Amino acid sequence: MKVDIEATIVDDGKSWIVRYGDLTATGETLPKLDEEFAKVLRDSGKFVCGSKIKVFMGYHFSSTIPTWMRQYSYHYFNRVVTLDL
Amino acid sequence: MEGVNRKWYSGMTTSEDWWAVWVGLAMFALGLTSIFGVDMVGWMAKTKTWVWGDFGFSHMIKPAGKAWKDIGPYGSFIMTYLSFTALTCTGAWFMKLDVKKFFMGWTIIFFMTWGLWIIGHEAHFKALKTSQSQNQAELYGDDVYCTTKVHKCTKKINTALKKMGVDVKAGDTPTKEQAGMAIDQVKKAVRLSWGLQLGGGFSFILALLVGLIIGNFFRGLAAFLKEAAKPEWFIKTAIVYLGIKIGLMSMKAAGFTFELAIAGMCATIVAYMLFWPITYWMGRKFFGLSRAASAVLSSGVSICGVSAAIATAGAIRAKAVLPVMVSMLIVVFAMFELLILPGIYTYMAPDSPIVNGAAMGMTVKTDGADAAAGAILDELMLANAAKRGIYWEEGWILTANVMTKIWIDMFIGVWAFILAIIWVYYVERKPGQSQVPVSEIWHRFPKFVLGYFFCWFVYLGIAVFGPDLIATAKTGANIVQSPMRKMMFMLTFVAIGTITDFSKLKGMGKLALLYAIALFFVIAPIAYLVAWIFHNGMMPPTVSG
Repeated sequence: MKVDIEATIVDDGKSWIVRYGDLTATGETLPKLDEEFAKVLRDSGKFVCGSKIKVFMGYHFSSTIPTWMRQYSYHYFNRVVTLDL
Repeated sequence: MEGVNRKWYSGMTTSEDWWAVWVGLAMFALGLTSIFGVDMVGWMAKTKTWVWGDFGFSHMIKPAGKAWKDIGPYGSFIMTYLSFTALTCTGAWFMKLDVKKFFMGWTIIFFMTWGLWIIGHEAHFKALKTSQSQNQAELYGDDVYCTTKVHKCTKKINTALKKMGVDVKAGDTPTKEQAGMAIDQVKKAVRLSWGLQLGGGFSFILALLVGLIIGNFFRGLAAFLKEAAKPEWFIKTAIVYLGIKIGLMSMKAAGFTFELAIAGMCATIVAYMLFWPITYWMGRKFFGLSRAASAVLSSGVSICGVSAAIATAGAIRAKAVLPVMVSMLIVVFAMFELLILPGIYTYMAPDSPIVNGAAMGMTVKTDGADAAAGAILDELMLANAAKRGIYWEEGWILTANVMTKIWIDMFIGVWAFILAIIWVYYVERKPGQSQVPVSEIWHRFPKFVLGYFFCWFVYLGIAVFGPDLIATAKTGANIVQSPMRKMMFMLTFVAIGTITDFSKLKGMGKLALLYAIALFFVIAPIAYLVAWIFHNGMMPPTVSG
């Protein structure tokens, strides 16, 4: 699937955290995270204000899921979301 | 993007799932070279049934291949250790495990496994009585046990009698003296003052119990072994080897094999349609669980254990702590199932081997526990049937068990995809903005299943397109699918026991209660009914002679 940017997503038990390069956003729910990430991208100046960008968010399995569980599965989820900047 | 499954090939060098395929295919490829007249796997050590008092290593182990007999038991054992250590440590390195810790843990587990396997093969535990001893004890004595397959002993004793002019098949009856002489001539028939007649399953149970003792009473040792205690990796590799066995079985009984596959698929679909909604409803209505907790628990208990719990949690975008908690429950309860169900099924329905195998596949969670339970069930039911003079071919009950589990594993990705669509489009309700990539199905697809089917179809292909090669192909195949596969099963038993700590159930409260009720009062009985509907009347082939 063609996307504009690829980011990683994890959670700390309370909030979702998305990272793209040196940009980070957090949100307690995914919709809140998307809103916050759109704001961070807008404020970074790297993207045109008012544009729509397609973001791939891949869950970073090995940094969150305990080692003992990884032998059962090595994938959590990927999501593709379109953000209005 | 390291650590993220972005491409279709993500995880190919870093996940246990793929490394089960690589270790599996490595030995599969070496075994296949026998079609060129070369034996590249005959060095594999193979256990023998031995009698207390005959303590020589050559009584306990031998090289599996005739062409390698000169290396003797020690050479064979060393080569087995070195070969599998090289393979597993290579995998550990690529999977970014602590290779030094892995190597030390693996070595301990390896030697412990072989020690237990040898103990389990002592005749007083393992050997079954010959049919003559069971049915005509007044002539032969009731103390004659067989250190190989029972039907082979029966045949050899009858052959020895025939040489004396006594044709048992024609109805002749030997004298006591003739019977005694015939038994003395058969090397594999031994007289023992007592015997537990547990068959090959005893080794598995012993390995499991020792693992559990370590996991629950020697936690320091368990922690030390943790890096190398990878039951899912070992069992998935064993299942790839099992694909070879299915290929060989298909050569003899293609129709039955495919019937088993189709019946397993149908049973799985029905089970999915029933188990999940019932458990989800119970969780929401009676236990007040959230949608997310109910969904993850339902998948864990009713589909495939930990991998289903992770897949579902990911599909519904739950925070990772939820599948972690549910997974702890699953692993512990899978152990209870492994300990009690094979015995229950064997004695409850001794004449329904395929139904039992399929039911087990739908009931026991996690691939490791399920295949392990299937292996024990296969051994227990065969030993039980042999005592009644019925000699089923080994491996069909295990096949029925693994077949349903494999269908379940394959459908997890599809099920999680459907759940993700429902969550995104009906629960989150942001269809325009959030998408569920179809690639999620592939990322969740159990890759070891590819190895299993590949091995199966290669040997089936040999049977169909190159029947002249069957005899030579079997030389290598039999070594990979038997002693190598059984060794991976034994390693699984030790490892799964080591990582199971029953104290993890403390504090789980209503989640554990719901799990227990769902598993034993909903899943298990419905699974048995569904297995019975689709597999009733199916019987494994019997051995000839």
